Amino acid sequence: MKIQKLLDKLKDILSADRQAQLEKYKSLKKVLKSLRAEKKGLEKDLSATNDTERQQEISARLKVISMQRKKGLKLLKELKEERRRAK
Amino acid sequence: MLRKTFLPAIFLLLAYGFTVSADFKTITAGVAIFLFGMLSLEEGFKTFSAGTLERILKASTNNVAKSMTFGVIATSIMQSSSLVSVITISFLSAGLLELASGIGIIFGANLGTTTGAWLVAGFGLKVNLSAYAMPMLVFGIILVFQSAKSLKGAGYVLAGLGFLFLGIHYMKEGFDSFGQTIDLAQYTMSGYAGVVIFAGIGAAATVVMQSSHAMLILILAALATQQISYENALALAIGSNVGTTVTAIIGSLGASTDGKRLAVAHLVFNVVTGVLAIAGIYQLMVAVEWISARLGIAADNYTLQLAVFHSLFNLIGIVVMLPLLRPLVRFVEKLIAAEEVEIERPIYLSGASIEIRDAAVEAVKKESIRLYDLAAEVITDGLSIQRDALESEDKLKHVLKKSTDVIDEDIDDLYERKLKALFAAIVEYVIQSRGGYAKGRMKEELNSFRQAGQHVIEAVKGVKHLRKNLTRSLQSDDLVVRKEYDRLRKLILKVLRDIEGVRTAGVGSRSVLPLDRLKLEIEEKTRQFSEGLDTLIRKEGIDVYTATSLMNDISYCKETCWDLVEAGSVLFSESDPDDRDAIRSIALDEHEIDAMIADDGERVAR
Repeated sequence: MKIQKLLDKLKDILSADRQAQLEKYKSLKKVLKSLRAEKKGLEKDLSATNDTERQQEISARLKVISMQRKKGLKLLKELKEERRRAK
Repeated sequence: MLRKTFLPAIFLLLAYGFTVSADFKTITAGVAIFLFGMLSLEEGFKTFSAGTLERILKASTNNVAKSMTFGVIATSIMQSSSLVSVITISFLSAGLLELASGIGIIFGANLGTTTGAWLVAGFGLKVNLSAYAMPMLVFGIILVFQSAKSLKGAGYVLAGLGFLFLGIHYMKEGFDSFGQTIDLAQYTMSGYAGVVIFAGIGAAATVVMQSSHAMLILILAALATQQISYENALALAIGSNVGTTVTAIIGSLGASTDGKRLAVAHLVFNVVTGVLAIAGIYQLMVAVEWISARLGIAADNYTLQLAVFHSLFNLIGIVVMLPLLRPLVRFVEKLIAAEEVEIERPIYLSGASIEIRDAAVEAVKKESIRLYDLAAEVITDGLSIQRDALESEDKLKHVLKKSTDVIDEDIDDLYERKLKALFAAIVEYVIQSRGGYAKGRMKEELNSFRQAGQHVIEAVKGVKHLRKNLTRSLQSDDLVVRKEYDRLRKLILKVLRDIEGVRTAGVGSRSVLPLDRLKLEIEEKTRQFSEGLDTLIRKEGIDVYTATSLMNDISYCKETCWDLVEAGSVLFSESDPDDRDAIRSIALDEHEIDAMIADDGERVAR
């Protein structure tokens, strides 16, 4: 198992396509993480404010972030799948 | 100061002239009708530009010999060099011809006009085109009302010719009283002094009569009745040749720079030819005698000899001036400078930065941001909102309350001068760098800026469409419609302000895709506007036509907002370059936003 993992890593390093795929995967993961942090921050802001207008605005932003995350997670899954098939 | 007083001064002068002289009124009305004819002619030829007429003209005037032949044939058929020259001016103004070709036609027209002398002298034939003015006007105007573009164009050309003839007719009418006072016999004089004076009289009389043909008939009549000597008759013909250029000069008043240049070239050609003919009049007389003897023209047949003379001195003019065609073009180009059109030039896309990869991307980005800034100004002008409203902290409704006057800017002109030229420079730069070294991520970056530029341009086009009805609503008393257009203005202004907010927040802003939220707002708002139209028709009583216009304008508003957001997302969303692709891959598109709203709707319904 360990050898298989090492081989995969070697393939990642040697193949330019696989390298690019890996970069894509990593940066998408990073962006999704930032989105999650943004979402948490907004949820905190939402519970802290009483201003209806502000509440509406935050809710709209939260809705959009959820949709973006949903799209991102789907893409991440596809990338994972691609990488698995390429092995 | 001079500009401000010039127009009122001209008006006062004209008004004074009208009260003093009825002839002056007729003459100036003739000039006005003539110029209107020129405008109509130009409008008509514009319809045919980039079409068959342009192809024919290009093919028949692509070298000097061809354009001269064209001038000879056209003038021989139309029997009016003035008409051919004014039509050539309108061709030039419509951008159908080049100046050198135009001058070639004028050279040819000068030779072609001598066929008139042959016709008059040989057959006593006089083609009176002014008799066709009325039918031309009638047929022309009927055609102008047709919806087919080619028929409409033909209508403008026909009506233009009709107005030209009518204008000439009125000018002649007005000058008639002066013409009747011309008694050539009293000036009979021999020697060079006589030649010069009669040339001057010939020029002045042709200006007065607005026809070198009419002048020719007058000369022949005077010659036949021996009112003037043969020598003086020749001088009159020389003068007439110079005087005929005045029609072209009048015709060039409303023409483009090239049109004016052509009129000057025409004058230069005819004056040079005239001077040469005066200088060598006695040698020419010998030559005419010799040619006439060869052609079997009787020694006392002065009318035909006059035709020979007319052709000969114009031919000499062409022979002398033809090698000087290019210098003549340069001279008139220098004399009448092209009107400076202030076109926005790129600042950052310097030639040097294209060689340095990072600098090239940065230069394109900065130039694209500049394009966006200029577009934002044009958009606020288009929406009749003060430009400073973008950065002010005034509430949107207060801004709109203050912005009730139409900002009288020519948006099409601003678009052409400021945005189109700059965008073209960006596209050219991107293509050049893509063709050279740009690869991979850099190529994508450059492409994304080019696309952002395209969105900026589309946004302005959307506002251009919107402006017509928006301006109408601002000027109307219908508060319901005005309120609807205010909503559209408000939404676009909000989008611009939010993008500005994202731009100033810059690096360190917490949001990953700050402008995606705006997309949701745009969709929700424009849906509300569209759904509200039913109520407006039923309850507020707005008519269906206005509602249809509003429907289209809501759509323009939505497209404009989306284009601005798409451009703003590329230009102002600061993010780590390594993550840019990932961020763009999760940005929501119109369908996804639609799906979100539909989901919300279903949830509420449940």
